[in-house]
Amino acid sequence: MLRELYNRTGEWLRGTGPESDIVISTRIRLARNLTNFPFLSRANDEQKKDIEKLARERIKENELTKNLHYIRLSQISPVDRLFLMERRLISREHAGSDGERGVAFGKAETISVMVNEEDHLRIQVIYSGFELRGAWKTIDELDNILEKELHYAFSPRFGYLTACPTNVGTGMRASVMMHLPALGLTHHIEKVFSAVGKLGLVVRGIYGEGTQVLGDLYQISNQFTLGKSEIEIVEIMESVVPRITSYERMARSALMTENKDQLEDRVWRSYGMLKMARMLSSEEVMHLLSQVRLGVNLGLINDVSIETLNELFILTLPAHLQKLEGKEMEATERNVIRASFVRKRLG
Amino acid sequence: MGEEVDMKCESCNKKHATVHLTEISGNEKRERHLCEECAHTLNNQLVKMPSPADILTSLINQVAPEIEEMSKTVCPACGLSYLEFRSQGRLGCPMDYTTFKKGLVPLLEKMHGNSQHIGKVPSRAGKELVVKNEILQLRKELDKAVEKEDYEKAAKIRDRIFELSGSENAEGTLQ
Repeated sequence: MLRELYNRTGEWLRGTGPESDIVISTRIRLARNLTNFPFLSRANDEQKKDIEKLARERIKENELTKNLHYIRLSQISPVDRLFLMERRLISREHAGSDGERGVAFGKAETISVMVNEEDHLRIQVIYSGFELRGAWKTIDELDNILEKELHYAFSPRFGYLTACPTNVGTGMRASVMMHLPALGLTHHIEKVFSAVGKLGLVVRGIYGEGTQVLGDLYQISNQFTLGKSEIEIVEIMESVVPRITSYERMARSALMTENKDQLEDRVWRSYGMLKMARMLSSEEVMHLLSQVRLGVNLGLINDVSIETLNELFILTLPAHLQKLEGKEMEATERNVIRASFVRKRLG
Repeated sequence: MGEEVDMKCESCNKKHATVHLTEISGNEKRERHLCEECAHTLNNQLVKMPSPADILTSLINQVAPEIEEMSKTVCPACGLSYLEFRSQGRLGCPMDYTTFKKGLVPLLEKMHGNSQHIGKVPSRAGKELVVKNEILQLRKELDKAVEKEDYEKAAKIRDRIFELSGSENAEGTLQ
């Protein structure tokens, strides 16, 4: 089942949808727990097995969710789990923890349901571009389907009850992945983020909390989950994100008018490195792809598509490379294979 | 600082108070203003070195006053104690939200600026609750519409609120 995934990527990398030159993807996730079971930190192995089995069977039985792929994470290798994480079908915590747990996802990789992550269920929807309304509509419907099958822990006062009180209430985290190279180059990024923080939003690296910022990619998400409705959360994001995109556009056009030669040199050098280098680390690839992506969006480079670049961000990650190559490799060997893979793709 | 200049010693009531002490016993805070002489004589009775445990308790009381009160609370369903929750940051089961409510409410207020859920309600939670939450949301929208001076929209929202509260008689339960 996993094999089918190796040579393709999810819909959210297509580079389509509103503002997709800057907003790579929009993700919404809902945290849900079942009544009659302890949260996972207090659950013993038996209880974890029972929760996983219950969720798996109900997902498989329902007419609308029965066609989702379901993978039991305890039955696949660590590299395969890393592979699913790189694809954003599961979280880093979900890949790394132990015990019975699983993930259900659709063929387009737009929806996924993690079972036994930090909460019993983490439902997520990822769309290409800036598409909060569409993502909310889809996840709301999916949640309604699952709610009929599984009895959620809910209180009128505190909403959907979650293992960590930072998620209680709506249990909703909406986030957009933004590509902000010009704000980085012009050193305005810190200013933007401190302003964003004051509006109740948080900035994270691409794989969520505590992860590094790579390739000028940032995830902006809501901080508060209690006391605001899902639509209000969407509205806050809808009022803030376009301001960041327009700020990035201003920085881009300032670079184009004031430093065009340097900018053009920079993006073409990066393109040259990607096309010629014989060894590339994953951080270096991210950095170079970011520059080339900027070059394409500004019309400086015309012979490569945004989709190809978006895909390379994911396909050059360690687990993806090892899966494509069909063997486990050390970092140095990976760097050689990565460079040759990038050369072929950009060929 | 200006007020303190003319403050008289509260013990002899003659000299200027130059020593200002804050005594804390339990939750009581008492301030004392003394002259140097009186402070010195009082010192021997007053200064009773607090034990490390006392210092810790008073610190906790200042930072998170609910902890002392909640410290003996243990969830009957999952066995998690309130102190374990505060050190690990994770709750043990859905029932903890009821068991630790007293400690959680101020914590949630600090975290989210709010402690009342407004938003989606699972359909099995009942029609009444769905209506109640819709009214809560409409009220927020009403405030926004009034703020924007969009009275036409405000009137529509108001009618919808009346309609909902009439049908379910939910208005009373909101107060």
